[in-house]
Amino acid sequence: MASSVHRLERAWRSGGDMRLKGMIGAAVLLLAAGAGAAAEPREIDPAPSAADWAALAKLPDWSGVWTPGIRDQNAQITTNPPPWTPDVAAQMAELAAQEKAGHPRGLFIDCLPEAMPSWMLISHNAVEFLFTPGRVTLLGESDGNRLRRIYTDGRSHPADPDPSFHGNSIGHWEGDTLVVDTIGVLPQTYIAVSEAVGIPNNGDLHVVERLHLAEPDVLHDDLEITAPHVLTATWHTTRIYFRQRAKKYEIIEGECLQGSFKDGVDAKGNAIFLPQPLVDGNPRAQ
Amino acid sequence: MTSFRAIAPILALLAGLAIPVRFGLAHHSFAMFDPSNPVTITGTVKEFQWVNPHVTLWVYTAAKEGETPELWNIELTSPGNLTRIGWTRHTFSPGDKVAVEIAPLRDGTHGGGFRKATLTDTGQELTANFQAQEKPDLQ
Repeated sequence: MASSVHRLERAWRSGGDMRLKGMIGAAVLLLAAGAGAAAEPREIDPAPSAADWAALAKLPDWSGVWTPGIRDQNAQITTNPPPWTPDVAAQMAELAAQEKAGHPRGLFIDCLPEAMPSWMLISHNAVEFLFTPGRVTLLGESDGNRLRRIYTDGRSHPADPDPSFHGNSIGHWEGDTLVVDTIGVLPQTYIAVSEAVGIPNNGDLHVVERLHLAEPDVLHDDLEITAPHVLTATWHTTRIYFRQRAKKYEIIEGECLQGSFKDGVDAKGNAIFLPQPLVDGNPRAQ
Repeated sequence: MTSFRAIAPILALLAGLAIPVRFGLAHHSFAMFDPSNPVTITGTVKEFQWVNPHVTLWVYTAAKEGETPELWNIELTSPGNLTRIGWTRHTFSPGDKVAVEIAPLRDGTHGGGFRKATLTDTGQELTANFQAQEKPDLQ
């Protein structure tokens, strides 16, 4: 071994065989890469063990489909409004007046996701919960089959998460309550109280949720919404979901943009979607 | 150079003037419909679009001799919500004779929000109030 090293060293110093030099360089690079890997271990999601799967059985039963309490959503518009900043309150009053006058401004007519936190606040559509090792997944209807991934494997938020519609969510169980912490939400996503009244969160949104069964078939999502650019204080609100087990309540596919198209056939007889004339999201007579 | 801040109010005004604002059923408020003045559209189903985000029923009105039928679009909630109250994509078929009570669009164009319908040939009445039931374990 030592002699071969010496031979390489001699070759290097002599400025000899370039091919040999290249090989030495590559070997050094490989060693450096190896050293780097040792310093920063590859981050992996380990395969769940049998014990991890078995542990899921100890979690509360949230199976079934959960339909939102829409009447309570509507009631809270007046009974528990967000603590808007004065500037935002004026904008909300204007939007509410437009809605009352029959000329509502639609917040979601572009079919972008209702996103966080509005999905939890104003959705009329059902949701279901999937438990797998290290994760809780919310699957919803509408918005292109919306979903939230909540990591419960003990990780922290990334230091600088890429902003997204549903943000970066980590969760942990406190008894039978799932506590979820969400950051990294796009500033454009709305804090909405209805489909016509809401304001973009404008950045630095932080949502803490405590999801738990208030009754055997009634789930509460207690939300704490902090949005320093539009709210003067953290807004506390609860959203209610009712468990359904009848098969007709099972979640079905929902693509928001589908309504912007109509069934058609191309010149070769293939089934295709054709753009449908819309006015502000409404199909129009042709 | 004119700053954006200086011209922003003008741009906002122009944007506001560009298109009369009326909003549709894609994640919308129902306030564009006028529930205080329901009207009944009587005619024949052209098409029943069973799509998200909102199901749409197209109806040709019955026209008198020499008149052109009007085409109305009548909007409902999502296929998922309608499924849960017993509707299917076959609830209406093209050619069905119907009388549909709607909350008409406030702007007077031929459309509205669905309230109830009667299939003329069978007398079957259909409603779509999925929010009426808010409790667990519905059948």
